[in-house]
Amino acid sequence: MSASPSAAVPAMPSASLPPAQRYAFLRSRRDLLLACALGLAAVAALIVFSGNDPGRAAHAFLAGAFGSFDRISVALNKATPYILCGTGVALCFRAGIVNIGGEGQIALGGLGAATCAMLFPVANPLLAVLSCLLAGVAFGALWATVAAVLHLTRRINEVIVTLLMNFVAVLLVQWIVQDYIGETGAGFPQTALMPPAYWLPKFTADNDLHLGILLAVAACVLAHLYLWHTQWGFGLRVLGASRQAARYAGLSVFRGTVVVMGVAGSLAGLAGSVEVLGLHYRLIAGFSQGFGFNAVAIALLAGRQPLAILPAGLFLGFLEAGALAMQREVGSPSSLVSMIEGLTMLFALVIAGRASRQAGS
Amino acid sequence: MDTATLDFLGSVLRIATPLLFGAMGSILSERAGVFAVGLEGMMLAGAFGAALLTFMTGNAAAGVAGSMVAGALVAMVVALVTVRLGADQMVTGLAVNVLAAGATSFLVWWVLRHTGAGSLRVTMLAPWPVPGLANIPVLGPLLFRQPPLTYLALLMIVPLHGFLEGTRWGLTLRAVGENPAAAFSVGANPNVFRGAAVIAGGAIAGLGGAVLVLQQVGTFTDAMTSGRGFLALAAIIVGRWRPWGAFVACLVFGAAEALHLRLQMTGLPVSSYVMQMLPYLIALLVLAGLGRSVKLPAALGSYIGPRA
Repeated sequence: MSASPSAAVPAMPSASLPPAQRYAFLRSRRDLLLACALGLAAVAALIVFSGNDPGRAAHAFLAGAFGSFDRISVALNKATPYILCGTGVALCFRAGIVNIGGEGQIALGGLGAATCAMLFPVANPLLAVLSCLLAGVAFGALWATVAAVLHLTRRINEVIVTLLMNFVAVLLVQWIVQDYIGETGAGFPQTALMPPAYWLPKFTADNDLHLGILLAVAACVLAHLYLWHTQWGFGLRVLGASRQAARYAGLSVFRGTVVVMGVAGSLAGLAGSVEVLGLHYRLIAGFSQGFGFNAVAIALLAGRQPLAILPAGLFLGFLEAGALAMQREVGSPSSLVSMIEGLTMLFALVIAGRASRQAGS
Repeated sequence: MDTATLDFLGSVLRIATPLLFGAMGSILSERAGVFAVGLEGMMLAGAFGAALLTFMTGNAAAGVAGSMVAGALVAMVVALVTVRLGADQMVTGLAVNVLAAGATSFLVWWVLRHTGAGSLRVTMLAPWPVPGLANIPVLGPLLFRQPPLTYLALLMIVPLHGFLEGTRWGLTLRAVGENPAAAFSVGANPNVFRGAAVIAGGAIAGLGGAVLVLQQVGTFTDAMTSGRGFLALAAIIVGRWRPWGAFVACLVFGAAEALHLRLQMTGLPVSSYVMQMLPYLIALLVLAGLGRSVKLPAALGSYIGPRA
């Protein structure tokens, strides 16, 4: 039984952890690397078992993930939304909130970017991109805030709220695209191609890598500083340790929860608008499918550490890029990616569960 | 009653049947205190198990058994990782869904490659008319001329309700979901109850997958449950974690979808996306409207240590 936290002795998170402890995740990451390795090993075994030449498969995987600048760009672009959204999810975890609403918040972010481009056409590329990114951020934040308020005022479990709101959000975006802002005759709910002024700039002209990865890196670093080096980050950790302790310390549970959900929603919304402006140049219904899950997966893989989100997100990005190539080259089924993701996540969950039990006892 | 209405009611029942199995399975799990987010994966595994065993043996009864085993296997993973090892229940459910989607798709690919077949096509279960009752004018065709798993889904509600409300084990199971310490103090091992409830729930949820394969589609396709597990979860929220309540919710959701199919045919100006959204909105409204009075099992989501 989880010991009921008595109000007298709130389990305070180490306020000013010595650096050795603050970066303890660098050592505990060994376990999570183990999770990744176990997931990969299980699937390697499956490839052998399924009769594919493992050498050829591995070669196709590595060449597909790291073989050229173009391949690396594909992986980095894939990792970008996961890192952005995962950072927000990690902050929520720290505040004791399990936010699995990434998928819906990303969908709304994409909707924000697309509608902004349609409603307020501007010619200046800087203004165009910035306004759309901001609109995406606002939409994502709003959606997450609604979830937070429902959770706080109606006392609905936040996981159930964010889960249900995912379905509502994705269907809402499909509906709006289909009936109001979609391209007629596209045969699929999607908006028309945006003018190039709205496209997120790229690093080089002949390559698809867009600036989103810089935003993702910035988000991780800022979230790290926020969590570990500011008073607000401290408050957030107190909230996560015990709501009672937070109240006792004079912190507003309501405001803290709304703020952290708002931040997570903003990052998810940013991820959605980056997908729209950087990759598709249009809003495609259902583009965020599976993103929310991946965000939760990497937040856990990263041990809820904002800085560690970066390698965890890259792991997933390169994994997907490599698996796609492997599917093309040696005909291994695409389902291998889901199996690696599912298995790795289960291993990571077990490790995270064990760590938190040890910390609690 | 005209044939159109009868058709409509028939499709309500058809849509609600797999949801019913999912909902009944997840009630067992959640009343014992374990979130059933992995329901989608259990139903999908059930569909695969049903298709595979029927395909291999040519016997639908083996397929039904296979669906229960497959659903229970996925549930065992959930039980091991959450009840035994203490991982977060919600996120474990999500992980299991992804794993089940990948594993079933991979196994189908593997089986087809090794048998040279084009798909796991199986003969479906024929309706079993109940002698006598099947000839009642209106109710006959609707309720008594159905394939076997539909009867099972409808008949299961009574014993499940009876088990939860009227038996000692049911009482203990509910105690484990509300107050594990109390259950422990009367000599029950909460984790044994939780593990058993999750696995039994998985077997029942697997039957929902069997309904899809053996009564509705006739083969297995990737991700064929397409969100029905989550719909069933919404149904038990709306039904407030009670078998009869969930039954009504499943029928309401079934009616919403049947209506939506009908509207699509006649072309009424309601977007099908809005119709699909309704169940989740209703679930949110029920949770928000009933707010503080909703009786969520109190210990839902908690971890019980090895020594309680």
